[in-house]
Amino acid sequence: MTGLLHLWLIPLLPFIGFVLNGLFGSRLPKWLVSTIALLLPLGSLLVVALNWVDFVSASVPETFIERCPVGWIHVANFNVGFDFAIDQLSLVMLLVVTGVGFLIHVYSVGYMGHEEGYWRFFSYLNLFLFFMTVLVLAENALLMFVGWEGVGLASYLLIGFYYKKDSAADAGKKAFIVNRIGDFGFLLGIFLLIGTFGTLSFSGISANLATHPALQGGVLTCIALCLVLGATGKSAQLPLYIWLPDAMEGPTPVSALIHAATMVTAGVYMIVRMHFLFDRSPLALAIVAILGAATAIFAATIALVQTDIKRVLAYSTVSQLGYMFLGAGVAAYSSAIFHLMTHAFFKALLFLAAGSVIHALNGEQDLRKMGGLRNQLPVTFWVTTIAVLAISGIPPFAGFFSKDEILFATFNHGMLGQALWFVGLVTALLTSFYMFRFWYLTFMGESRSHDAHPHESPWSMLGPLVVLAVLSTAGGFIKINGFLEPSVGMRAEVANHSLEWLMSGVAVAVALLGWFIAHSLYGKKSEAPKKLAASLPFAYQTLLNKYYVDEFYGAAIVKPLQLTSKYVFEWVVEKGILGGAVWLIAGVPQFLGALLQKWQSGNIRSYAAWVAAGAAALLLFLLLTTHQLPVWLGNFQINGMAH
Amino acid sequence: MNWMDLFHATLPVTVLEVAALVVLVFDLALLRKAAANSRLAGAVVLGVLGCGAAAFVFYHHTAPLFASNHALLYNQAYSAVAQTAIFALTAMTLLLLPGTKFTRHPAEIVATVLFAASGGLLVVAARDLLVLFVGLELLSLSLYIMTAFAKSSEKSAEAALKYYLFGGMSAAFMLFGFSYIYGLTGSTGFDEIIQSFQQTGSAQSPLFLVAMVAVAAGLGFKVAAVPFHLWAPDAYEGAPTPAAAFIASVSKVASFALLAGLAYSAAFALHNGKLPVAHIAANNRVVAVILFLAAASMVVGNLAALAQTSVRRLLAYSAIAHAGYMLLGVAAAALASDAEAMTRSVNTVLFYVITYGLTTIAAFGVIGVVEQATGSNKLDAFSGLHKRNPLLAAVLLILFLSLAGIPPLVGFWAKFNLFAAVLGTGSGVVPFALVALAIAMSAVSLYYYLRVLKFAYVVEPVEGAGKITAHPVVLLVLVAIAVAVVWIGCAPAGLVDWIAKPGLPLL
Repeated sequence: MTGLLHLWLIPLLPFIGFVLNGLFGSRLPKWLVSTIALLLPLGSLLVVALNWVDFVSASVPETFIERCPVGWIHVANFNVGFDFAIDQLSLVMLLVVTGVGFLIHVYSVGYMGHEEGYWRFFSYLNLFLFFMTVLVLAENALLMFVGWEGVGLASYLLIGFYYKKDSAADAGKKAFIVNRIGDFGFLLGIFLLIGTFGTLSFSGISANLATHPALQGGVLTCIALCLVLGATGKSAQLPLYIWLPDAMEGPTPVSALIHAATMVTAGVYMIVRMHFLFDRSPLALAIVAILGAATAIFAATIALVQTDIKRVLAYSTVSQLGYMFLGAGVAAYSSAIFHLMTHAFFKALLFLAAGSVIHALNGEQDLRKMGGLRNQLPVTFWVTTIAVLAISGIPPFAGFFSKDEILFATFNHGMLGQALWFVGLVTALLTSFYMFRFWYLTFMGESRSHDAHPHESPWSMLGPLVVLAVLSTAGGFIKINGFLEPSVGMRAEVANHSLEWLMSGVAVAVALLGWFIAHSLYGKKSEAPKKLAASLPFAYQTLLNKYYVDEFYGAAIVKPLQLTSKYVFEWVVEKGILGGAVWLIAGVPQFLGALLQKWQSGNIRSYAAWVAAGAAALLLFLLLTTHQLPVWLGNFQINGMAH
Repeated sequence: MNWMDLFHATLPVTVLEVAALVVLVFDLALLRKAAANSRLAGAVVLGVLGCGAAAFVFYHHTAPLFASNHALLYNQAYSAVAQTAIFALTAMTLLLLPGTKFTRHPAEIVATVLFAASGGLLVVAARDLLVLFVGLELLSLSLYIMTAFAKSSEKSAEAALKYYLFGGMSAAFMLFGFSYIYGLTGSTGFDEIIQSFQQTGSAQSPLFLVAMVAVAAGLGFKVAAVPFHLWAPDAYEGAPTPAAAFIASVSKVASFALLAGLAYSAAFALHNGKLPVAHIAANNRVVAVILFLAAASMVVGNLAALAQTSVRRLLAYSAIAHAGYMLLGVAAAALASDAEAMTRSVNTVLFYVITYGLTTIAAFGVIGVVEQATGSNKLDAFSGLHKRNPLLAAVLLILFLSLAGIPPLVGFWAKFNLFAAVLGTGSGVVPFALVALAIAMSAVSLYYYLRVLKFAYVVEPVEGAGKITAHPVVLLVLVAIAVAVVWIGCAPAGLVDWIAKPGLPLL
């Protein structure tokens, strides 16, 4: 370890980009805006890469903490600083964030080329990278929370990028408000951490826990569950996932970067970062696993019938995040991070490819109006094919390895694990099916588009696609489990290789089955899907309407709140109680003030009299209160001793 | 005591006096024929240099002064903090002078300000009743003169006369009290008085009660505590702007540093074995007097301020209210039973009074500029200030919000630290109740501060009202103070540490 890692550069560079483009972008030429927006994240990527070289070459891997010389909060013995830490876990995360982030920046130059507010987009995008790297690098929970809120802000700004469109503005608000619920949990968790450990530093908490090996459950479960609430908000898990599909109103590169590859995985990262806490609370872990599995299958079923290309991918993201939660919940932290990484590759690829398709079709997002694009968009077609194979879990593509690891770890996790494994397996089947459905509808068959001349995207967009395709193909062979061990702990290996092979076989078989079903339904032009939908009208409608969850939340939470605030708060509290109180509070002092004003006669003889009267009053006051004073002033015990 | 010690201990005071004389001579000898502006400029520059020189020697040549076995002047620790503040605030007051037109004798007002400042230095450092009285009189007499300085203004003369008569009466009360204390203990030195209390128990005598009330009347007059506050609104309204700023800032810093030091000495003597525990009863009476004045000042100051239409009178009542808050801190210092609580209380009072002084100087600066342009200090003179001079309006906004105690401005931290210190010392119900009262009264104060800001920002300027211009030096000082108010408010630790650094003496 050289100790010269300069971690502060990693967030600072994108921040400079944000400031430059944010302040001056509107007056700068386009090429300069893109140069600033690309070079600074590239700088961050280089710093991260140098750190990585440093880490790989160092003989003893350890956590490196960079303390900020200027403190932030000092209250008695409680200190919080702007301290950054890097270890294997944050390094992997940083590589994903800055690497995929940079590729998506490059892609955006082409994709957003004709948009109004080009500079605004890039300054927000750099702002996002700034906060995301702060989140990842933070050495304490509060600084992580700063990053956490910051990415939420960047996400809000970018979802609402087309702010003139009502639906985009609404989606931005929805994302923000739903995330507030999660953030509330995170904050409570932070307060409980302060109360329990007196520190928010991850190394401090972990050291504290290490000295108390018997500490289990109880308040730790409570903290962990608060944090999980935070994670479900940011990572779009049940019951707070509803904002993510709406977030697709933002430009497609935003969906790829923030709502697929990086920000939404922050919840998983947070759980893994605090794994030492979760390890002490089996209940919290079990809840994480159950939430993950439930979200995975729930979202996958919705994805089956969606017709908007980006919504299919959005529900697929929710479902895949569920897998990561499942992995974290069965304490297979390195597998969860592994899946996080491969998912970042193939899901970013899928979104960007979808963006390429949308771009080619002049903004068309309806799968039913696509088809037959494999000849017009050959590059997009092939990279999408790779991504679909990867997400469906077909070897040797990246998704197969990570998903397989999570499923195997789940199976080895007792009774609950085996039940959840089955859920995961069914989800894998559904995933394979809806992804191939997406593939067939987009690229196969005949064109159903009104636009007769779809064109392939420019190379600034295709370049990142190809790089991501390579990563999605080969990413599975990056063995990060061993690398991550120092920061997330050793995993109990089950030395049963035949079982492992069997499980893999089953998973592949399931994936192929999904493909087969999709092929038979959508492979050739047929009325089969419609007939199937017609034969199960209730199920179809339920799925199409996303289980009516939004409607349920609206009726159960939003509407009652609106009614209460209108009738109780506005009419009774605001106008009645507060208004009346204000009237009284304002009136009484005004009246007294006017009375006191009379005291000021301006007559010097009366002033003299008042001084004498005041002194006399003081003397009288003292004589009358001598015996009450010790009680009033709270020193009667000392006084009592004297007598 | 020998002459050399006396020279060393009083060197900063001497430097200020000499500077005052130099200002007078320089003006008389060289600038008699010069234009009024250059005379003023010369006097202000020399005066500010004098403050700087005094501060310089203060940091290089100071030693406490002892007479036989007790201290006469103590200029370390909290005194040093207050004295440094006096140098700085005096210089800022002088810098408000450029552009003013109330006098044709600029050298004389500058000299008077410097005399007053040297009186303030003595008050802060005094450890003997006679030294204290001399310091107080030097300060007060200079203030009366400063108040009367606008010779063409009837109000100025009336205010000065009222201030003078009232002050003379208070001085009589105080001397009366001092004479009783001398009669009881046979000494005028604080250390010897405490020794005498220890040996004779005379602090429990009813005569001491009378002495204390009489002294309270005298010092209550200095800090404008109710019911000894009646001079303040008249003086604040009639005095020329720099004089009013000085009364509201330097004089306040000196008086509160003295009070906090006295309270600390009493509490320290009580809780470190110098005084028998039975003296707690006597100490409680002192605390009760202070709390009585504090509660009355907070209530009367804040409520009467609501009814004011003159911004100067409004600031006078607000000063009374702030004195009430600070007296709470003084009472906490006297009530504290361990060294940490005593130190904290004294330091928070110092923080409060220094930042309050800073803010008020600038507030009077703004009022002075507006008054000179409009000829009035009524609320409606401030109408549309943000259109007539946006920078001035912004400065006023910052200052008044800080006075009201809105975070993140410095006034918030002053109040927060002070109230926290008070709550940290007393376990009785009264300190708690008084802090609750103080917070409620702070809420009331927001109303009258905002009323001024409403005129500055919401009300449209009168037809045909032009721009208001301020002298560049004055504007620079005002903006610098406003920036400091925001800066210290965002990072209060610097000033807090600077005040706490010298620690408190084992007196």
